[in-house]
Order: sequence, then C-alpha cells, then structure tokens
Amino acid sequence: MSDQLIVVGTFVISYGVMFGYATYLHLRRRRAGN
Amino acid sequence: MTRVKVLLAIASVAMAVGLWFALTAPADTLQGDFTRIINIHAPSMWLAFLAFGLTALGSAMWLIRKQSRWDRLAQASAELGVMFTAIGLFTGMVWGQAVWGRAWDWGDARLATTAVMFFVYLGYLALRGATLDPTVRAQRSAILGVIAVVQVPLVYFSVNLFRTLHQTQSIRLDGITMPREMSIAILVNVVAFTILYAALMLARIDLAKAEERVAAESALAGDAVKPPRLSEVKDV
Repeated sequence: MSDQLIVVGTFVISYGVMFGYATYLHLRRRRAGN
Repeated sequence: MTRVKVLLAIASVAMAVGLWFALTAPADTLQGDFTRIINIHAPSMWLAFLAFGLTALGSAMWLIRKQSRWDRLAQASAELGVMFTAIGLFTGMVWGQAVWGRAWDWGDARLATTAVMFFVYLGYLALRGATLDPTVRAQRSAILGVIAVVQVPLVYFSVNLFRTLHQTQSIRLDGITMPREMSIAILVNVVAFTILYAALMLARIDLAKAEERVAAESALAGDAVKPPRLSEVKDV
C-alpha cells in the first residue's frame, strides 16, 4: 500500500470518528426532544 | 440557530483550515508524508489531557457543591477525552508502524501509560453506565474522576522521566524543535481541535440536560402513561 494512501486513510478514519460522534450526539438529542 | 450549532459551524470551518494546513505543510525528509499524521496525533493527545483535567475539575466541584451541572461537565469531558485518546493512540500506532517499524511497544513509557489512562477512563464511563441512581453515579464517578487525573502529568512527563522509544516534547515553552511550517500547521490544528472540543462539549452537556428533563417528566407521569403489555390486553 502506498504511503499517501495510508496517510489519507488515517485522516479519513480519525475525522470520521469525530464526525460520527457529533452525529450520534445530534441523533440522541433529537430523540430527547426540546 | 442555537449556540451549539453556531459553535459546531465554526469548528467545522476551523477543522477544514486545519486539514488544509496539515496536507500542505512540507513533508519530512525522512518520514515523508507520514509526518502529516502528527497534525492529528498531537492535537488529539493535547485535548485528551485538557478533557481529563476538566473531568477532574467537574468531579471536584461536584464533591464540594453537589450541583448536577458539575457532574454533566465531568461526564461530557470524560467521553470526549476517551474519544480523543482513542484517536491519538490509533494515529500514533499508524505513524509508529511507518517510522519506528512497529506500531506498539509495551516497553515504552509513553505508550504504556497512555494505554493505562485510556482504559481507566473507559472504566470511568463503564462505572457511570453501571449506576442507575443519578446521585450515587455522580458521587462514585466524581471520586474516580479526581483520582484518575494523576495519570495526566504521568503520561505527559513519561518521556522525560523514562527515555525509551517515544521522543520528548517538540513544542515546549522554551522553544520549538521542529521546522516553522510544521509547527505552525500543528498549532493551527491544536486551535481547530480545541474549538471542536468546545462545540462537542456544549452539545454533550445540552444532550445530558435534555435527557434529564425527559427522565424527570416520565418519573412525574409514573405509570399513567405506560402502555399496557400485549399479554395484559385481553381483546386482541
């Protein structure tokens, strides 16, 4: 595997975890109502 | 637009700027493009330290004041701290495999202490999940939150106390031991990640408040709003 692909993959996974956590909070907040 | 959404929008822009800096900073002569991973690794670990520090602050304040807002602060910060530690460990392992030739070494003080810190705070979250009564949960987790923070200085100074595989700090108060362009990119990402941390903290605290309201309302309503079980309905 090329070096750049590993670096890009690491960025995608790390940012994905942060985005996923934000989405998880949003969905749980919507379920809790106002 | 709520305060949380405004801060999340600002954090998104800051993260995009940070990403641009990370991908356009010059690559290291020896490490090549793998050096870009440090732009996620270092800010993540910095935020883990900040998050666990705030968990300890919230825990201590809860023990003194017994106000639920301090418990919410400790809970939100611990959750985020665990997430950032996980990202820090993952990115460090990828970088280590490429540059050191091995992803993990239990003999290294920084790696071992970080792993212990990660599992202790996972335990903190498990403890919260295992206790139903909110006051008992806040009390138990606050005691753990205050004790567990001793690991933060231990992890930070482990590279100075034990010289093993992990290098010492590159950005210190008395100077920076890396090229200017690389250190600027890391500092921009530290700022961006900190804004994201603040936004996610607000969102998590807002969620905890909303869920407490729902729990209080359902406790007030009691059995009156509970639907009958199918087995209890005779005319089906």
